[in-house]
Amino acid sequence: MPASIISIRHMCQTFDSLPVVRDLTFGIAEGEVFGFLGHNGAGKTTTVHMLTTLARPASGTAEIAGADIVGDPMGVRRQIGYVPENVRLYDTLTAQENLMFFARLSGLGDPAARVAETLALLDCSDLALRRVGGFSKGMRQRIGLAQAILHRPRVLFLDEPTSGLDPMGIKMLRDVIARLNRDRGMTIFMNTHLLSEIAKTCTSIGVLGHGRLIYHDTMQAVTARYGSDSALEELYLSLAPASQPAGAA
Amino acid sequence: MRGATQILALQSASFVLRERIVAVLVGLFVALVLLSSWLGWSATATVTGIYIRSAAFLQASGQPVPPNPVLDISPLSLMRNMVVYVALIGALAAIVIGNQLVALDRKSGVIPLIGVRPVPPHGYALAKIAALGGLVIGLTALSALVSVATFAILPQTTLDGAGWARLAGFFGLSAIYMMILGLVALASAAFARAEGVGLLVPVTLWLTLTFILPALTSNILPTAALNPISALAPLPESPFFQWAGWALGPVSLADAYKIDSARLLGFLPQDYAVRAMVPPLASLLAALVLAAVWATHALTRIDLTKGDYDA
Repeated sequence: MPASIISIRHMCQTFDSLPVVRDLTFGIAEGEVFGFLGHNGAGKTTTVHMLTTLARPASGTAEIAGADIVGDPMGVRRQIGYVPENVRLYDTLTAQENLMFFARLSGLGDPAARVAETLALLDCSDLALRRVGGFSKGMRQRIGLAQAILHRPRVLFLDEPTSGLDPMGIKMLRDVIARLNRDRGMTIFMNTHLLSEIAKTCTSIGVLGHGRLIYHDTMQAVTARYGSDSALEELYLSLAPASQPAGAA
Repeated sequence: MRGATQILALQSASFVLRERIVAVLVGLFVALVLLSSWLGWSATATVTGIYIRSAAFLQASGQPVPPNPVLDISPLSLMRNMVVYVALIGALAAIVIGNQLVALDRKSGVIPLIGVRPVPPHGYALAKIAALGGLVIGLTALSALVSVATFAILPQTTLDGAGWARLAGFFGLSAIYMMILGLVALASAAFARAEGVGLLVPVTLWLTLTFILPALTSNILPTAALNPISALAPLPESPFFQWAGWALGPVSLADAYKIDSARLLGFLPQDYAVRAMVPPLASLLAALVLAAVWATHALTRIDLTKGDYDA
């Protein structure tokens, strides 16, 4: 069993004294593509915010590539990339200028070369000199992904990466995720609602309900248990009573 | 290789300078500095021209020739209009720069993307304050350069070492005054939930400092703000204004700035008595420290998970 690159221990979060994430404890092995499922408000994005050091847990902690999110947030930030649900960039700057800014901020020695290489990797070199303000959602998502992988992080966090993308955009993203995972050994942590995307992309999944982890296993195990056709849907429906908010249909 | 804080400061300053409103205000300020220099040159040249003709007439009629009146006043007082321009346009430019340094990040929604970079704790706050400091000092240095050039080309005015030091002191004081308002704008832009409020708070403060408080602490004339020093307008001697000057003087920062500028540039009347309970420079320095503390506090409390405005 490979060592966990993400190791979460009793992590909790509260908003206005209300628990949002409760006693989360699990690990993700290096090289996994992990799909994090859950209904709206289950605590998925809050979990990603804590793991990316954007928010401090109310209690508990996690280690990412050996760095503690509470004790060594700077160490964590050097190892991770993050793509938020709605990628927002400086609209008045070109894609290249935006990426140069983030490359410099990540401490890269030769930012121009790394930006060119990353844009080529994502097949979007043609966007380099265009202002981000005029970009479509799909173009923004690509540049958002580019800023997250510029510094070759070991772990990439994606928050609802396919939200608002057309089928071509979703296919492009799926291919890029597979390539980053296969060629660079990058561990991917992906929040999503789309069961089909998880089935096509992920090697393991976790399901969050009311801030608690109610299921965690490999995709292989899910398929073995429910059969290959719509295995995830079967699993998710079987967990529905525990994952849905009280009173939901 | 530069540190993340330094990179953030440099990039922030460069992004803000690309904003049209900032460019317009900076351009306007520099234009007013040039105008101030031209007014100084024009006034000196006119008086000297009249003096030369009068001296020739007096000499021809065998009467004693008095010295050139230009030489009786401090040559630095030629810069007196600068005091008004700094309090009006320079301070406004600093407010817009301070606001844009944070508002650009918040409007763009890039704060979470900055937050996951290896920027040290308080690095964001330090970077923004450093960027503001750099831009305010740059703006002041530009106006100082114009002033130095003016003094270098004016034949009637020569500055000794103490004069140059006082001129440097005036620009240092101007930078402090602009920095106070810029820091308030930084803090407000970080603190506000809506973009408009972020700008409204420092602009209201600027209006209060420039137009309302001087009316209470030095004189009641609405044109007080347009006088380089309030002493040029009559000071009311009623008990209310004595008390208001003493009590509100420490927060009447535009007055404090104008009084100390007039002192440095050598045109403060000899009999001018400061009414405030603390010296003007102490007020300005205390305000600078308080504004820096507020800006640091507000900037370190930005919600990194979103950072953008609610509205």
